[in-house]
Amino acid sequence: MSKDTSKFLCPYCAETFGSFDELAAHALAQHKGEPEPRPEGMIHLTVNGQEFDIQVQPQWTLNYVVHDLLGFTSPKMFCDRGACGSCTVIMEGRPILSCMSLAIECDGQSIETAEGVAQAKHPLIDAYVKHHTMQCGYCTPGFVTTAKALLDKNPDPSLDDIKEALGGNLCRCGTYPQHPKAILEAAAELRKDQGEGQNG
Amino acid sequence: MASTEKQRAREMLDNLRFDKYPIPKERIKSIGDREVRRLDGVEKASGKANYTMDVQLPGMLHMRFLTSPHPHAAIKSMDTSKAEALPGVRAVLRYDDPEIQQEEDLGGHGVSPRLPIPLVAHFQGEECGVAIAADSEEIVDEALRLVEVQWEQRPFVLDPLEALASGAPIANPEDFPESNLEVYYEAGRGDVEEGFAESDVVLEFASRRDLHTYVSPERACGVWRWNGDYPEVWCKQQRPHIVKRAVASWFGGIPMNRIELHILYQGASFGGWSQFGWNLAGNYCSAVISRRTNRPVKWSFTRREDFYGGSMDYGAHQYKVGAKKDGTILAVKAESVYANPMWGGQGPVLHLEECTNIPHLYGKRSLAIVNKGPCTAVRCEQLPNTHTLTLVFDHVAGELGLDPIDVALKNDGVHGHDMAWASEEKMKMGFPQTDSLRECIKSGKKAVAWDKKWHKPGTKKLSNGRMHGLGFTWNHEWEDSAGSGEIAMRLERNDGTLRILGMRCDNGVNAETAYCQVAADEMGMKIEDVFYRPHVDTGFFTQTPDSSTNMSVNGFAVRHASRMLKERILKAACAPRAETQRGSYPAFFPDCTPEDLDIADSAIFVKMDPSRRLTLAEFVGPAGDEGPLCFYELYGHERTPFSEPMFSYSYHVQVGAYKGGIRPRFIRQAHFMEVEVDTGTGEISITKVANVNDVGKAINPMACEGQMYGGTYMGIGRALWEEVVHDPVTGVMLNGNLLDYKIATIDDCGPIDTILKESQLGFGPYGLAGIGEDVPTMIPALLGPAVYNAIGVWIDDYPITPQRVLKALGKI
Amino acid sequence: MKAFAHFNAASVEEAVSLLQRYDGKAQVIAGGTDLLGKMKDRILPGYPEALVNIKTIPGLDGIAEKDGLLKVGTLAILEDIAHHPVVREKYSALAQAARRTASPHLREMGTLGGNITQDIRCWYYRNPNNRFPCLRKGGGRCYALAGDNRYHSIFGGSVPEGCVAVHPSDTAPALIALGAKVLTSQRSMAIDEFFQVGVAKTTVLEGHEVVTGVEIPQPAPGSKSAFIKFAFRKSIDFPIVNCAALVQTQGGKVAQARICLNAVFPKPYRAVAAEEAIRGKKLNQANADKAGEAAVAEAEPLSHNAYMVTAAKALVSRALLACSG
Repeated sequence: MSKDTSKFLCPYCAETFGSFDELAAHALAQHKGEPEPRPEGMIHLTVNGQEFDIQVQPQWTLNYVVHDLLGFTSPKMFCDRGACGSCTVIMEGRPILSCMSLAIECDGQSIETAEGVAQAKHPLIDAYVKHHTMQCGYCTPGFVTTAKALLDKNPDPSLDDIKEALGGNLCRCGTYPQHPKAILEAAAELRKDQGEGQNG
Repeated sequence: MASTEKQRAREMLDNLRFDKYPIPKERIKSIGDREVRRLDGVEKASGKANYTMDVQLPGMLHMRFLTSPHPHAAIKSMDTSKAEALPGVRAVLRYDDPEIQQEEDLGGHGVSPRLPIPLVAHFQGEECGVAIAADSEEIVDEALRLVEVQWEQRPFVLDPLEALASGAPIANPEDFPESNLEVYYEAGRGDVEEGFAESDVVLEFASRRDLHTYVSPERACGVWRWNGDYPEVWCKQQRPHIVKRAVASWFGGIPMNRIELHILYQGASFGGWSQFGWNLAGNYCSAVISRRTNRPVKWSFTRREDFYGGSMDYGAHQYKVGAKKDGTILAVKAESVYANPMWGGQGPVLHLEECTNIPHLYGKRSLAIVNKGPCTAVRCEQLPNTHTLTLVFDHVAGELGLDPIDVALKNDGVHGHDMAWASEEKMKMGFPQTDSLRECIKSGKKAVAWDKKWHKPGTKKLSNGRMHGLGFTWNHEWEDSAGSGEIAMRLERNDGTLRILGMRCDNGVNAETAYCQVAADEMGMKIEDVFYRPHVDTGFFTQTPDSSTNMSVNGFAVRHASRMLKERILKAACAPRAETQRGSYPAFFPDCTPEDLDIADSAIFVKMDPSRRLTLAEFVGPAGDEGPLCFYELYGHERTPFSEPMFSYSYHVQVGAYKGGIRPRFIRQAHFMEVEVDTGTGEISITKVANVNDVGKAINPMACEGQMYGGTYMGIGRALWEEVVHDPVTGVMLNGNLLDYKIATIDDCGPIDTILKESQLGFGPYGLAGIGEDVPTMIPALLGPAVYNAIGVWIDDYPITPQRVLKALGKI
Repeated sequence: MKAFAHFNAASVEEAVSLLQRYDGKAQVIAGGTDLLGKMKDRILPGYPEALVNIKTIPGLDGIAEKDGLLKVGTLAILEDIAHHPVVREKYSALAQAARRTASPHLREMGTLGGNITQDIRCWYYRNPNNRFPCLRKGGGRCYALAGDNRYHSIFGGSVPEGCVAVHPSDTAPALIALGAKVLTSQRSMAIDEFFQVGVAKTTVLEGHEVVTGVEIPQPAPGSKSAFIKFAFRKSIDFPIVNCAALVQTQGGKVAQARICLNAVFPKPYRAVAAEEAIRGKKLNQANADKAGEAAVAEAEPLSHNAYMVTAAKALVSRALLACSG
């Protein structure tokens, strides 16, 4: 980083100054009374319902933080370039690639991983086991999160909907034909549960 | 043992056709059951399954190697001072470090000692010069960029045919100073010239297979920790026994019993990386660095580095085939060149030798050295054979205007004999008389409506403007990996559940569940009472290569160990229990002999009076200080049931199946592919595939089918797009990532019918044969015949890209 | 990745001021799927000292019709564009292009602004660690010319001469066919003028200029648009060739047509010759094929990509026919 941009950075608005005095004057003039800024790089992340405050560096990916630092091993690193879907997590209802997201840009977000899908006793897990929807299993959690995001958005997906939604998940073992079977079964199970809920 | 007992034990181990002790039908409960739950299912679906890449230890360092930017270059000098000065760098292990000047066993098929860090790179991307370990992967990455190397660049050659031409630069003067031809092998039978002379037609054609690779989801990696003087090793490796053998030979020798090995779930490597001769160098250097830094070390490749290794069918073939007008093939001459194979390889006419009656065969394979990464068995080494069989048969059918199915049936045979001979042999060996190929064809034809849909090549245009094609090929089923499989099992104290013991790599084919199914039915136990987790080093190495030799080797060992254990349990149930210093205690079934008893639903019972039963849990009793006698002695409680430890083991040694006299090929597979070819863009859509595999007996049908549709997807990727591309000018790999190297996605194949046939014609237990390698090895070459049927022109170079399609159509 | 500074911009003005302050050493990040790949591979000629996140700027992700225009904010997510009912109905080419872009996950992350400002995918340019110091990095030559150019230009090179890397966007040709305007922090321009090839450059954007959105005029009555993509795989892949067309028919004949190919030239390639060939003609197979032939009449394929010419011809014809009826 060049000198003039790093030395005296306003923690409120990121404006920079040539000296500390200038910065202090600016802060008093512009930001007096504002709540104290959080330390730079501090983010608040909710993973599967658990809350974390964690200090990150700008270059850390969401995958590094969630998998390596927080120990949720399900978002797997396969291609590391956004081309395989193995590191998929759900954020704001969207299946996104944790290897191509900067953790620092996920401040305040709530994230769901395959561990969370299992923890919530989502019928996808059982359906996946029943249909042998995994072989080596390395890519499987990425499929599970992608499928969960699909079912959240579309509880009654068609075969084509499923194939489209899974288009970005690579499976080298070729388990592909089993995923629609498992997802359709889980969808039916969910609808049944909801139906029962309404009736009961 | 009395000699009759010995005899009986031997019979139970018998791996020939005759099984003298088949399980009665009514006791087969979990074998063949589609509902048996995968042991690894929940763990994998929920993302909790751990792989070597997931291992993190306190204080762990990360290590990577420098890689060569040039396809052939030697390090003249190397300055690592800037890397050493980078904060967070903990160790820099240079090629000239005195501690690594010894050639070591670093993996591979045989023992071929190498230096852990080479000084010369023979392909772009080869690890050489230095390994660096630091606090994070980021720092290692940065440090590697700070290494300054003076390279002596050497001339290189990339194409295997060019490598064999005179005047080609020597690709690897260190190992092959004389020439780029490593060696050649010849095989065959009869006299092909005689065959050609007798033939009505003789056709010649050439074929190429471009370099493709395995793409393992989990990169090559490993972790090393020293516990005092003893190593604890985590490794992404398909063959744990080789890891342990190698580790034991390092650093002046480490006793085998002090090495703790963990082979966690494997992000599959399909052969590939696990078979290269240098694949343990990462572990070796991690060990050295771990010792110096007193910290655990994890090494890994980058995704791109994992692309530098390919399948040993990379190369070219030249074919000459002679046939009668009716489709009888008389002679096949196949001359092939394979590039950079790590071992001799197979083919090209091996399958023609094994499962046809063609009288005259000649195959020659020349192994050429080029400046690309090493090539090995990548699901699988039979690729040149399936390629040859498919192209030879379909070319003959095309040339003569015959239905390829008729040509297959006409030439189907066993080691040069016809099917009448095969019938006799089947009889002698106690096999059923089933004609496996005919059965497979019958089912497959129905699945794709062959009789309705097949047409003369290039004659059917669909309403969407595309050309329709239907292709067929066939072969035998193979399970060729020679080796030994050891299995042990024990009944657990307290609950009498059965745990199978044996270390192997779990590549995801679900063989572990299948072993439990065999044990459950053989023992008379509930399937949920049997468990197997192969990650732990129990000292028993259960055969991996994990591919087609799961059940066909280890199945025998499991079956035998189960039968021995059951015998032991029944014997113990009738005998006085637990001989101790205070005497022995009465038998559970004092009035019975073992023959009077049996086990079902995890309980021992008296055959004549099933109400007299004892669960296995009651039988084994608790362990330790809750054990058998102490409570009685102290408090006068009822004696706790107890028996001596219930443990058994077995093994199976499989010689290769190559020698026809021992294990003739009776069992077949057939595959059908329907395609649409867009003649405007050259795009090929695969609209339907039918896999028909006669597996002899399907222990876990869902797992078998998984190998079929899974193999189909792998196969179509190989057929359509998969190619590792190198820049012809600089030799640099251009597409070492998952975007530019294209493996199939879910939508790239139409419906796949997976049809299992169970003829019991296999040489495995219950008459089964292997399946793991078959389909991905069969499917690639099948695309050519399907496309030929669509456009009426042969494309024999693979992958069959739009460029090649449009060229064949004369459009470019 | 190597370290960098990171700023969340609260407004376009703040983003611009940050970019100015870093004077060419900062990069804008939105979806990040293109940029982070380049940074991981270190293929940027100069690794950025800072990233300016514009996802934090409110109001730039809208998709709405107003004043006879479809206004799409630069942060509009591709997946949302693909499924937006108005876009699907009236601006089909854009919806179809968005839907065929990359993979579902990348569409859930990627933005329209990012898709039209994305960098080239040439495998020499993208080879990790700047292994090939090519023209687009200010180096001396284009390595694809003598190398493996199976995915490169069929209409010659540029920068200022020589680079044969193609523009990879799927939405760009759709926007060109639809006659869109690009709005930036300092100006607006017809999208035809937006793309410009230079060292480390695919657009005319200045170093501190930020795309804020696009505006697309409502297609005239009797118009229909379509997008066709030819890629190896059904998902994930960048196009081998793609083509978007907007056709207005009157009295059974083509009154106006805008046709744009992409992935065939360093910039999106407006197929003017094809537009002329189809104008005034009935929209049928024969005429569409002729337009396809006209589109590639000037093509000069390289050693490995003649197939792209055939494909481009077919795609022009098919895109036109998809606009009929």
